[in-house]
Amino acid sequence: MKKVLFLCAVAAVTFSACQKETPVVVPTIVTGTKTISVAFDPMGTDNFTLFRFSDSSVVANTDSASANWDFGIRFTNFIVNSHAGGPGNAGAILQDGTFDATATAPTSGYAYDTTASTRAIKDVSWYDYNPTTHAFTPKAGKVFIFKTADGTHYAKMELLSVTYGGLVGNPPAPTILYYTFRYTYQANGTTTF
Amino acid sequence: MKRIIILLIVLSACTSAFSQKKKVGFDNDTLSEIVVTSTRTATQLGNVAVPTKIVSKKYIEQTGSLKLQNILQELTGVTIVNSNLATSLNGYPNPFGQGIQMLGLDPAYTAVLIDGEPLVGRNAGILKLGRIATGNIKQIEVVKGPSSCLYGSEALAGVINIITDLPVSEKIGIQFHAENNNTFSETVSYANQIQKTGVQFFLNRYSTGGYDLDPNIYGKTIDPSRDWNSNLKLTHQLSQKAELLLSLRKFDSKQDCNYMINWQSAPAIVKGYTTEKDNTAFVQFKLRTSPKTNLFLRTFYDNYSNKSFANLASTDMRFDETSFIQNIIKPEIQIEHNSEKLKLIGGIGTYFENIDASRYSGKQSLLTTYSFFQNEWFMLQHKITLIAGARADKRTDYDWNVSPRIAFAYKANSKWKFTASAGYGFKAPDFRHMYLNFYNSQIGYSLIGNQILSSALQTLQQQGELEAGANISPYLQTRPLLPEKSFGTHIGAKYNQSNFSTEIGIFRNDINNLIDVYLLPFKKTNSRSIYSYQNINSIFTQGAEIDSKLKLSKSLQFSIGYQYLEAKDKKIIQQIKEGKLYKRDPVTFQTTTVSKSEYFGLSNRSKNTFNCKLLWENKNTNIFLRAIYRGKYGYSDVNGNNIIDDNREMVKGFWILKFATEKYIKKNLGIQLGIDNILNYTNPIQMPDVSGRIYFINVNYSFNHLFNKH
Repeated sequence: MKKVLFLCAVAAVTFSACQKETPVVVPTIVTGTKTISVAFDPMGTDNFTLFRFSDSSVVANTDSASANWDFGIRFTNFIVNSHAGGPGNAGAILQDGTFDATATAPTSGYAYDTTASTRAIKDVSWYDYNPTTHAFTPKAGKVFIFKTADGTHYAKMELLSVTYGGLVGNPPAPTILYYTFRYTYQANGTTTF
Repeated sequence: MKRIIILLIVLSACTSAFSQKKKVGFDNDTLSEIVVTSTRTATQLGNVAVPTKIVSKKYIEQTGSLKLQNILQELTGVTIVNSNLATSLNGYPNPFGQGIQMLGLDPAYTAVLIDGEPLVGRNAGILKLGRIATGNIKQIEVVKGPSSCLYGSEALAGVINIITDLPVSEKIGIQFHAENNNTFSETVSYANQIQKTGVQFFLNRYSTGGYDLDPNIYGKTIDPSRDWNSNLKLTHQLSQKAELLLSLRKFDSKQDCNYMINWQSAPAIVKGYTTEKDNTAFVQFKLRTSPKTNLFLRTFYDNYSNKSFANLASTDMRFDETSFIQNIIKPEIQIEHNSEKLKLIGGIGTYFENIDASRYSGKQSLLTTYSFFQNEWFMLQHKITLIAGARADKRTDYDWNVSPRIAFAYKANSKWKFTASAGYGFKAPDFRHMYLNFYNSQIGYSLIGNQILSSALQTLQQQGELEAGANISPYLQTRPLLPEKSFGTHIGAKYNQSNFSTEIGIFRNDINNLIDVYLLPFKKTNSRSIYSYQNINSIFTQGAEIDSKLKLSKSLQFSIGYQYLEAKDKKIIQQIKEGKLYKRDPVTFQTTTVSKSEYFGLSNRSKNTFNCKLLWENKNTNIFLRAIYRGKYGYSDVNGNNIIDDNREMVKGFWILKFATEKYIKKNLGIQLGIDNILNYTNPIQMPDVSGRIYFINVNYSFNHLFNKH
């Protein structure tokens, strides 16, 4: 992972170097697109699938009682690592706009999971469900801004698609949901992406 | 589409050139045809000030069609649509059937009447048109534009009134119809006039084996069904001034279902059937109180039921069961007064309905009291007609609703006529919006009517079925639903010559308070969503239409029709203006804002629809060719913004071609052959009700000659 970090940093340097002559503070940015598979669990009984931005990894659920993860997904529910969600200091804002045009993270206004049912990211706020095709499509133009579990870093994230997988039976019923999202993590602690 | 417009222009040009040369007797009788729907009283079509179309018995016979929707879809500005919910997914049957879209509004907004009285039995707002037999239709009258001023709720987009046969001198007829898919229809009709009493009887049986458009999916796309339709009409002349009419109608249908589900993580077959019954009785007493005044006392009664069940085929265990029973009683008094310069109608009535349905909470009943009044003035030797009218409806659960309308017609000369009309329409929230209490276990959501939401949520919470921390307090006092309201205007011009006529119209409708589902911000403990109804949307529809008819020779007639339509959501347009509506390409995942030109409009609406017909007829033979085009229309979102703004979200435009030819071998024996959907257009998922190519034969035989004693 360090190599990737390094590469990104190099890329960023090269890129900014091409654009501007004056040297600037080089941000250490982790950026990418990730697809994670989550058990299809409409009844909401399984564990959340946990994710950490700093090294783009899925965190084992045995590690859930730590600040090693930033957010988790289960069906249409998001969990954020703080307060009722976990021992960390994470927070989230769901704002309108395009991913590319979101240049900075707000310094305040982050929501937390205040209780197990009052989540930072409201269940129905980020997708449209089509009862005919059963598709649930992430709404376009919704950008998730996260304060990470350590409370000192910021990341922006856009959900690109949610698709069914692991089809079993006829008519086919899904067993897995694939969440594809892109994100940018600012490792230097500033709010600029 | 441009090509079609060019074609239209060329054709119009040709026709005017043509019509100057030739002066063949063009049957102008369409203008003298009597219509009743546009003013609730018998009026010559040529004098009507609101946009009205008629389909004659002859036209219906010449198409050879047994399905009302197949006939109506040939009219300009009438589109036959499925409900958005009515796709045939994995062979799961579409229970809604097809309905009428007029002026870009959903089927729920067109009132469908039989002999002036409502057709009952809407499912998700759709009346299954296929259940109406065509054999005893005298004429169909289509009035476009808000007509609540005469017909009350539901007549937002317009009214379709199916007028059935009245008793005539002795006549016995039989008809036999056969087509592929094991479809058969047998009809017997009898009419007689014995002194002062008239009888009209009609009986039809229709059965079909259904069809399968996708053999890879278990079960047929449309399952087998059979319908019985009967009607008995009696008239009696009580005195010189008084007349009695009794009409009894009975409809009985059985539709199989047979499909595959996922049951306990394994495929399972489910079988059952739906029975649908509709019994109506209508009595009318007509009294001529003076040479210029008529009084009508009438009562309409309807008992409608729809029951279905499905069992798991392997164990015979009940998988699903629904029932829906609706009763209506509608007494009404109408008075009309005719004089040289004035025509006046007025009336009062009540509409009592009750419903007992498995998906609704308890037995529910509603009472509506209404009165209507309309005045028609004729000026300048009937060159100008001015109509003003209004209707007031008071339903037990909401305030008075008043729907006025004005209309104006000017006959400039024998060739030109201009019309303009404007009116309000409304649709009262129906039972489902208020009392539905439905849990879909297959898909996993609850839909709860507005009126019972607070009690249903309290019950759920008490039973611990709502997720912890769910705050239901904002929903304990829900704002009651308001009627959906529309304001529509129409401007038209008609040119009429001996062998050429053309009619153009432009329209605009603004509809507010549209009722739609919304998602509650909390779920059940099993993570299933809860929806309810609220007045949410404001939309508009606007467009233009043209209809031209040309008599090419004594026996050859050609006609074309075209409609341009725009139907859009006002809130979406506002969001686009503010740059707050985004789309995400499903392939590249690039998110950008939606521009105004990208917004196609509401789903299920085609911008362009077109039809053309060619009829050749002589004394004993006719050949009828029709073509219908439905332009592309929105189907389902793919780019994350829930609106139609991408070609991948649309159903491609398609053509339906039809052909029929009829020959009378003897005066009393006619044989008709035909092909429907010649191009064999099918679309199993998006248009399951369009079967493939159909070949049919009709045999008509009448016994009239047996009674001709001279």
